[in-house]
Amino acid sequence: MKTLLIAIFLILAPVFAAQAQQDSRIQMTALDHLAAKASQTIDVNIDERLMRLAARVFDDKDEDEREVKKLVANLKGVYVKSFEFETAGQYAAADIEPIRTQLRGPGWTRLVNVTSKKDGILEVYLLFNGEQVGGMAVLHTDDKELTVVNIVGPVDVDKLARLEGQFGIPDLGLGSPKKTKNDDEK
Amino acid sequence: MNDDYLWDKSGQPDPQIQQLEEILGTLRYQPRPLALPQKRNYFPLLAIAASLLLALLAGGIWLRVRSRDEAPKLQAQVTTPTPEQNTAPKAPEIGSALNPPLLAPKRIHKPRSASSVLPRREREEALMAKEQLMLALRLTTQKLHLVHTKTQPNQIKNQHRVG
Repeated sequence: MKTLLIAIFLILAPVFAAQAQQDSRIQMTALDHLAAKASQTIDVNIDERLMRLAARVFDDKDEDEREVKKLVANLKGVYVKSFEFETAGQYAAADIEPIRTQLRGPGWTRLVNVTSKKDGILEVYLLFNGEQVGGMAVLHTDDKELTVVNIVGPVDVDKLARLEGQFGIPDLGLGSPKKTKNDDEK
Repeated sequence: MNDDYLWDKSGQPDPQIQQLEEILGTLRYQPRPLALPQKRNYFPLLAIAASLLLALLAGGIWLRVRSRDEAPKLQAQVTTPTPEQNTAPKAPEIGSALNPPLLAPKRIHKPRSASSVLPRREREEALMAKEQLMLALRLTTQKLHLVHTKTQPNQIKNQHRVG
């Protein structure tokens, strides 16, 4: 009987290990119904297989692409759901609750929580597996916008932030005229 | 001593023979049914193991099917407003994550070496995945930048002055 139990444990161990690794994946299907109300929706689902596939078409000769390739090399998936609404109040706090519930789970730590009248609430969560970052989530809730970003796998947040302005990633730098104009208007 | 006793138990027995008979008599054959060792019943264990294997198999298939259901969304689903909505005056949400520059990368690099090795269909899939990935990264970096600017207001003001 003891042998059987050991055998069962050995069989199930990889399953549980795989499950534990997937813990940084946030289920966002609860937000799907908001697409009907949204004026613009972005839905990105890249699992590990697509990540590997995408990595194969990055150009190693290009410095920017090389950087991005390095950044995504160990990632297991990238998932985004973003909704933009014409008018405010198209979604309720209850709609985001399933996401928040998952982010309150073990391992997740809210790194940043920024609240502003202009840009709403911005939260950055990291999932720690020991001392290693096992995933990241960004939750942006505004009157007319709801965005959830979920990066599964060991992500280098600093490196990710440094990508701004590279490879078509818009440089929203502080000298940006658009941003300055807005700030002035405000 | 009469040897007949040893032959057919007749006549006068020898005391030593009698003593030996008594000692060895305990080992005398005693008729009883043949007790074969009982065969161990492995059926319950095999049933449990089979059930576990079936459950694992079913779980594996379910996970695979689920991941396939989620994976086919190769292209980022970007739903844009209707023409009527486009003509309507829009609130100045320049800082929004979904503004046009975000969806329109500044430059697109064509893959050269690695992609040529891939079959055409796989290459197309890879390129779409790459586009999705870049869109997701753009959105993420934009949000992170917003967090950065909000958490360092003094620095922003100073840099604005310099700019």
